[in-house]
Amino acid sequence: MNCQRIQDSLLDFEAGALPAAEAEGVREHLKSCPDCQRRWADLQETLVTLDRLPQPAPSPRLRNNFYAMLESQMEAAGESGNPFHAPRPSEHWYSFLLPHRALVQAAAAVALFGVGIALGSRVWPPSDKTSGETAAQLAATRAELAQLRNQVDSVNQLVTYSLAQTQPAQARLQNVVATLGQKKTDEAELATLLGTLAFDPSTNVRLSALEALYAHADNTKVRQGVRAALPRESSPLVQVAMIDFLASVRDREAAPALEQLTRTPRTDEAVRTAAQRALAQI
Amino acid sequence: MVRSPDSIPVPSEIETSDHELMLAVRDGQVARLGELFERHHGPLYGFFVRLTGQRTLSEDLVQQVFYRILKYRHTYRDEGKFSAWMYHLGRRVAADHYRKHRTGETVDREEVNLEHIPDDAMDSGEQAEKNDDLALMQKAFAELPLDQREILTLHRFQHLPHSDIARLLDCSVGAAKVRLHRAVNALRDSYFRMRRHDGAR
Repeated sequence: MNCQRIQDSLLDFEAGALPAAEAEGVREHLKSCPDCQRRWADLQETLVTLDRLPQPAPSPRLRNNFYAMLESQMEAAGESGNPFHAPRPSEHWYSFLLPHRALVQAAAAVALFGVGIALGSRVWPPSDKTSGETAAQLAATRAELAQLRNQVDSVNQLVTYSLAQTQPAQARLQNVVATLGQKKTDEAELATLLGTLAFDPSTNVRLSALEALYAHADNTKVRQGVRAALPRESSPLVQVAMIDFLASVRDREAAPALEQLTRTPRTDEAVRTAAQRALAQI
Repeated sequence: MVRSPDSIPVPSEIETSDHELMLAVRDGQVARLGELFERHHGPLYGFFVRLTGQRTLSEDLVQQVFYRILKYRHTYRDEGKFSAWMYHLGRRVAADHYRKHRTGETVDREEVNLEHIPDDAMDSGEQAEKNDDLALMQKAFAELPLDQREILTLHRFQHLPHSDIARLLDCSVGAAKVRLHRAVNALRDSYFRMRRHDGAR
């Protein structure tokens, strides 16, 4: 083979794409031709250096934008077959009994709860003639009532959150982004952010909510909210972000939840590793 | 069970080919585009960065490609190969971008010189010393004409076979090999010339 033919086939030779006999011919030629040897060395060095160029990595903006686009396209098309989300109540056998909108469902829950309390007070009216009732029993009843009141407050928050959920994902994301970096965020806004973190169906919106909560990581209620949302979170990505959040503030109270995650066999491997790392940090 | 787009793939998901996923997207399971995005957005982003030298623009172009995949999903054919189709759309998106922003199909080399973009400069360009081989390679690569950067990227970084490259460039496999050969030679000459120049200083 002449030098030109050898040099033309060096690229295929390097890729191992030459037939065996031809490759052997190139090998033999290279042993005795200094010019082709130099060409071969230059080609190898060029390709090795080219391959070593760093692979550029996109910023998180790309992933956020993509999922926001996908979600808005699905919403625009009115598609419900989104496998990333839990089945909607309307897909269950008892769906015909349920109101369709989350807001109406939550309102109905509050109304039913109220009716329950009203009925309860009529059937068992409070009586001051109950001589057998001890002070301890009274205190317990009061505590129970306070707890019930708290539950009603939570349901009210859920109704507020359901209202927010009627907006498209992109608008919800914008709402969250608007609070990013704000040091002065009032209690109601924090509650909405925690609600978003716990209930929003979009992974991106939940992640953005967590990012917004970083500015308030010193707030006990915020840490408590993140701890409560952690075991219910379905996305390993968000779970890992929550664990990092709790580890960054060295939240010792998160230890039981983290230990639980490391013990549960269903826990994602990345989440388990993050939980173990966080446990070592806090 | 609730699934999320970012869940770590289980073995059965790994076995689902790009082609099968794209067929599912085409047939109405639009959310499965997320799996294709997770597999391909990194390499596609790398393709655009090497072509344009601009990170922010490259992210926008990737987004546009996936938007077009969704928009034109009905045109995906059974015999098609997903990655080849995706890069075909990618080339169209890049061409449309350049058509909108300047006249002519070629890119001004100064504009895409990876070392001369202060905001979007590539990491190695920032970190490497001037006489660093990688920085020289970066520079040599950036100074190649767009078509040579493209074929080198498709072959060397995207690992597309010659047949796919030929289909993308609308030429025969032989012609694609010749173009690739020329691009490698041009890169080699430019790189060693820069090295000699650098060593002489």
